[in-house]
Amino acid sequence: MRDRTLVGVILAGLVLLAILNLPDSVSGRVRGFIRDAFAPLQDLVASASRQGQETLKLARGVSGLMSENQRLASELARQRLRLNELERLEEETLKLRHLLDARRRAPQRLITCEVLGRDATGWWQALRLDKGTGEGVRAELAVTTPEGLVGRVISATTRTADVLLISDPKCKVSALVSRSQAFGIVVGNGVTPQGLPTCRMEFINVDRRHGVQNGDEVVTSGLGGIFPRDVLIGRLDNVKTNESGLYAEADVVVAADLGALDYVFAVADERPGAPPAPAARPAAEAGAP
Amino acid sequence: MKFLVLLLALVTCAAVQALLPAWAWFGGAQAPVLLALVLFYAFHYSRRWMLWCAFAAGLLQDALGQVPLGCSCLCFALAGLWAQRHREDVDEQAYISQIIFGGVAAAMMTLLLYGLLRFKGEITLPVGDALRKTLGTVLLAAVLTPVVFRVVLGLERRLGERPALETGGHP
Repeated sequence: MRDRTLVGVILAGLVLLAILNLPDSVSGRVRGFIRDAFAPLQDLVASASRQGQETLKLARGVSGLMSENQRLASELARQRLRLNELERLEEETLKLRHLLDARRRAPQRLITCEVLGRDATGWWQALRLDKGTGEGVRAELAVTTPEGLVGRVISATTRTADVLLISDPKCKVSALVSRSQAFGIVVGNGVTPQGLPTCRMEFINVDRRHGVQNGDEVVTSGLGGIFPRDVLIGRLDNVKTNESGLYAEADVVVAADLGALDYVFAVADERPGAPPAPAARPAAEAGAP
Repeated sequence: MKFLVLLLALVTCAAVQALLPAWAWFGGAQAPVLLALVLFYAFHYSRRWMLWCAFAAGLLQDALGQVPLGCSCLCFALAGLWAQRHREDVDEQAYISQIIFGGVAAAMMTLLLYGLLRFKGEITLPVGDALRKTLGTVLLAAVLTPVVFRVVLGLERRLGERPALETGGHP
């Protein structure tokens, strides 16, 4: 009896060792299979939870019809995104700053995705979306909301996609300050005890004439080929510059409400006619779990 | 039927764990619902069934999160083996036993997973934050384990896997 138990434990250990050492391709397929099989249930649970919240709101007299509200919320989000983009375009036209880049600013195709849930282990700042490669959402696509940048897709199966939020320490975004055009890297800084997602921006060789200051708007630089340029990330806070001015860092108050996302947009390939995004991907925007 | 109960419990626990938000006050501690299920199997079933549960729960947790496949299986299996080794020393029906076992297993699981993920270079979480997360997971496990035990017992009774008025024993 004891021998059988020992054999069982050894066998279990061997199976475990095999799972831990599965090649990435096989492990990805297994993971994808489980995720896809689980997606309908996760979708159902997420919808039920959302509907429960809506029902509560309805009972309090806050909300209107659930389905209509969802549709309108999605439509409103889309229109606000469009409006934000138009406002930015108008500003740029007035300043004639990005005249030469105008051709590159063709609007991207946005795929509306519903958030199914968050990382089930809590070790990463990540989201799961209800769309995958079947709908055109693939790894290394940027994910945004009308308020600002959310993160990037790190893996996708046929029916789901996982997004690493910009507040995750492994997420790095090449960014610039709109006012002074100071370049830097925005790195995730986790979540505060109050639940606020935070980021940090690191600058190298800050231009002393313009510098950076609290309240400055931070946008994506477009370098790297993952994130389109001029997507709002947030605003600077608690700027610290050393005496030589060679190095500065600041906290970034993230514009998008990363803690309460229901719908997001995956920024898919650019529309026909626009030049393709650069294929190269610098180390600055690397780092996936 | 035993297999069906396990499958149903696994899927439900995984769905609930994926739905519950992380606890920001404690470094993003996540409710360890699947761990509580593994402990239930460690307390009430043979080693074989506990290991099945630990493997399946681990695979589910890893697939639903970003953890490399297999890491949670190892942690669940070790936590389950530890609980099974000591289950005879306590009254498994008592809430206090479930709370203490839940807390200790959660601490073991979180620290072990932290070590594995740091070793593999998957996370960059500072040790202080990891300890905060461990504390949060321990508290959540202490609250959740008795609840999961009650729910799974209720499920087993409903499905006829366990007599309605059973008071103990290891099926």
